[in-house]
Amino acid sequence: MNLQSIYLFTSSSFLRKIFLGALFILICISAFTYRHTFALSDSTASVIHSQQVHLELEQMMSYLKDAETGQRGYILTQNPVYLQPYNGSREKVEVSFKLLKSLTLDNSKQQINLDSLHKIIDLRYSLFRKSLALSVEKPVNKVEFDNVLMNGKNAMDDIRYRVNQMIEFELVYLKEKKAKYESEISFTPVFTIVLFLFTVLIFAIAYMMINRDLKNVHKANKELTIINESIDHAEIIGNFCLTQWDLYNNKLIYSDNLYRMLGCEPQSFEPTVENYVAFVHPEDKHIVERGANDALNKNETYIRTYRIIRKDGEIRYFRSVGKLIEDAKNHKTHIGIINDVTEQHLSNLSLEEQNLELEQTVKELASFNYVASHDLQEPLRKIQLFISRIDENEKHSLSETGKEYFARINVSALRMRVLIDDLLQFSRTNKAEKNLERTDLNKIFHKAKNELAEAIRDKKGIIQTNRLPILNVIPYQIEQLFINLISNSLKYSRVGVEPFIKIECEKVRGKDYSPFKVNGEKKYFKFTFTDNGLGFEQKNAESIFILFHRLHHKSEYNGTGIGLSICKKIVENHGGFITAKGVPNEGSAFTFFLPA
Amino acid sequence: MQNEPIHVLLADDDEDDRLFFSDAIKELKMNTVVNVVKDGQDLIDYLLQTDVTLPHVLFLDLNMPIKTGLECLKEIKNIDRLKNIAIAIYSTSASEKDIEETFIRGANVYIKKPSSFTSLKKVLSEVITLNWQYHTSGLDRNNFLLSL
Amino acid sequence: MKLYIKYDINEICKKILQEQLDRLSLSYVLLGYSEVEIKEDISNDKLKELHAGLNSYGIEVVESSKNILVQKIKDVIIEMIYENDKLPSSKISAYLADKISHSYGYIANVFAEVTYTSVENFIILHRIEFAKKLITIDELSFTEISHKLNYSSLAHFCTQFKNTTGLTPSAFKRIILKRREAALNNT
Repeated sequence: MNLQSIYLFTSSSFLRKIFLGALFILICISAFTYRHTFALSDSTASVIHSQQVHLELEQMMSYLKDAETGQRGYILTQNPVYLQPYNGSREKVEVSFKLLKSLTLDNSKQQINLDSLHKIIDLRYSLFRKSLALSVEKPVNKVEFDNVLMNGKNAMDDIRYRVNQMIEFELVYLKEKKAKYESEISFTPVFTIVLFLFTVLIFAIAYMMINRDLKNVHKANKELTIINESIDHAEIIGNFCLTQWDLYNNKLIYSDNLYRMLGCEPQSFEPTVENYVAFVHPEDKHIVERGANDALNKNETYIRTYRIIRKDGEIRYFRSVGKLIEDAKNHKTHIGIINDVTEQHLSNLSLEEQNLELEQTVKELASFNYVASHDLQEPLRKIQLFISRIDENEKHSLSETGKEYFARINVSALRMRVLIDDLLQFSRTNKAEKNLERTDLNKIFHKAKNELAEAIRDKKGIIQTNRLPILNVIPYQIEQLFINLISNSLKYSRVGVEPFIKIECEKVRGKDYSPFKVNGEKKYFKFTFTDNGLGFEQKNAESIFILFHRLHHKSEYNGTGIGLSICKKIVENHGGFITAKGVPNEGSAFTFFLPA
Repeated sequence: MQNEPIHVLLADDDEDDRLFFSDAIKELKMNTVVNVVKDGQDLIDYLLQTDVTLPHVLFLDLNMPIKTGLECLKEIKNIDRLKNIAIAIYSTSASEKDIEETFIRGANVYIKKPSSFTSLKKVLSEVITLNWQYHTSGLDRNNFLLSL
Repeated sequence: MKLYIKYDINEICKKILQEQLDRLSLSYVLLGYSEVEIKEDISNDKLKELHAGLNSYGIEVVESSKNILVQKIKDVIIEMIYENDKLPSSKISAYLADKISHSYGYIANVFAEVTYTSVENFIILHRIEFAKKLITIDELSFTEISHKLNYSSLAHFCTQFKNTTGLTPSAFKRIILKRREAALNNT
């Protein structure tokens, strides 16, 4: 589990669970307490009840004893005064008995005991009556009287025994109840305390968590404030502002900087589309209005640039970017950024102007290219054709001087043709045809070699090369580059020395060749064409690449001074760099770098 | 076979070029009949005459006033009676683009006007004899492409 | 209903030839497929009539013996190129001389005189024509084509193709394909 989810878990759902748990525990505690109290009063009631039963039994017993004592006194004395307790006792016993009957209603055993007790009491009273009747008979039937008295005594003993038994039973019942109550009660306090402690613990944890959450909220609030402030600053520095358009509540919020950008005090007017459009340049109002319309109907991001007139009358260029977003409840809000792009816009405009000029120039160059290729060649071709006609048919009629002049005309025309052709080639290389193709340079080399086969054979040249790479290049240009470099070496070979051209290639890092204008971070293929020809003074190493620049008189070596310029152009077209080294009468080395 | 002359037609607005062309053909010492027209419109008018002998080869300059060579090429290729004439483009410029475009539009030969009379003769002789081969040896004219 | 027909072009030519000769009631002997010996002197008018009659079938009377010879040379060369197994192991000049029963010098002279081109050029031309045909069919690679036409290497084939047509084989192929595309778009 990652930190984020722990935090989420503890902060909301866990807290809720803690409170639910605590509530449940509280309900438990009150339930137990209620039960406890109920049991206590129940047990008190049964003690009182037992006591009552006990007392009543004793009471009844004493009534019986009173009756017996009174009866005995009467029998002995024949004085009716003694009979007084006996006479009232029967009702009193009956009252006591009824009370007992009702007290022990919930106890069937005691009821049965009472019922049998009642029978014995009845028996006792009949015996009382019989003994009383016998005592007044004269003469006294001694035997029967004794017998009745004995039976009365036995009945009395039986009653006493039964009452004692009942008292005993009540006591046992009370004891049982007490034991049960005690067993119930003894557990309750421990449980209550444990629950209480547990609740306290949970509340403590909850408190800690809430505390921590509060701290986090506080911290987040602080960060939010910082972010808000920095956005405010960023808006001012970056000259932009944020807009929020809650479509559900149709409420617009413009950040303070929009007001500043319009030259007003922050929140100085009510943020509505109408109020904003009021600042827009009249000619551009339709752009913004259409924008607002589109924003509501289209889901894609749009960008619009328009002019606004600030409160102080200054015209600025604003660019609005916006997108409609939708939350989970399908409430749509339009979020927008408005940027003051006046500076960029103006510089773009001037760039566009310059581009237009440049395009014009390029067009002119292209038409010059056509003029050179067609219109300049046309008359020259005719001059050459006429020369060849005269050369074939009319030459014999010329004087010697005429013939020499004529030959010179021919040479000049030829030179003109070479110049035009080379110039054309140079301007073609100029053209930004960047159709790079993956090309095997070994094949290119062989094509170049085939092209120059005749010259190589004539000069008895030897070309040695190691394996060349496969590169993304413009094939015909690289072929031209190879041709130009090889033919250059062949042309400027030393008299009597057979040309030997060595082509080497290796992969290098740009930063190892920092003096050259190569990109240090990139890798390059470094090509070196070394020859054993005439070479040149090192001080000319740069000028040889300049258009029309020649190191030799044209009567010695014919050439236009364009070939190496083309080489330079080609290498630069490929994002590379070319350089030359020369030692007079020993040879020269041309090194060029092409990006790998 | 030798009795039948080869008919050649040149459409070129340049007077000098027409002169060179006729001279060169004459010097080839082949049995040829040369006709020349001055521009594209002339060419179409000439070819549309009912009693005209259609040329075996038409040499067509690209850069002509009124109707350019390319327009003529399109027009000729759209006329059933004319579309089997072998067409040799005869132009000063020789950009790859022009060469491919005219070939695709149905030209058979592309000649960059040479700058010496000897090579002019050589080129014309080559075109005429090659065309003759296509004419007489049952070769597939669709495959007749030559760039000089 | 469709009928598929197989025919013998030589037999047809023979039949037409006989018909035309019979029509002019000439006495003749057929010598092979492309030679007729007429056993009588023939008037110029009749000869013209014969020419015209045959011409309407696209049959041409090859007049001079030189023309006949050239026709034979061409036949041998074309057969040699198009049917791979007929390609001679010996030098072509010796092969031709042997087949035609004339010295190669004579053959070359007559050929140049009649066709305005040399035997060698004619051979190259036809080899390249065959190559073009193979390229347009677009079934074989350039390497396979150069092999089929007995070129020593692909480079040699490409060089000769370029020298003969002024175009590289790939440029040729590109143009032909684009032409077809343009033709398709027009119809």
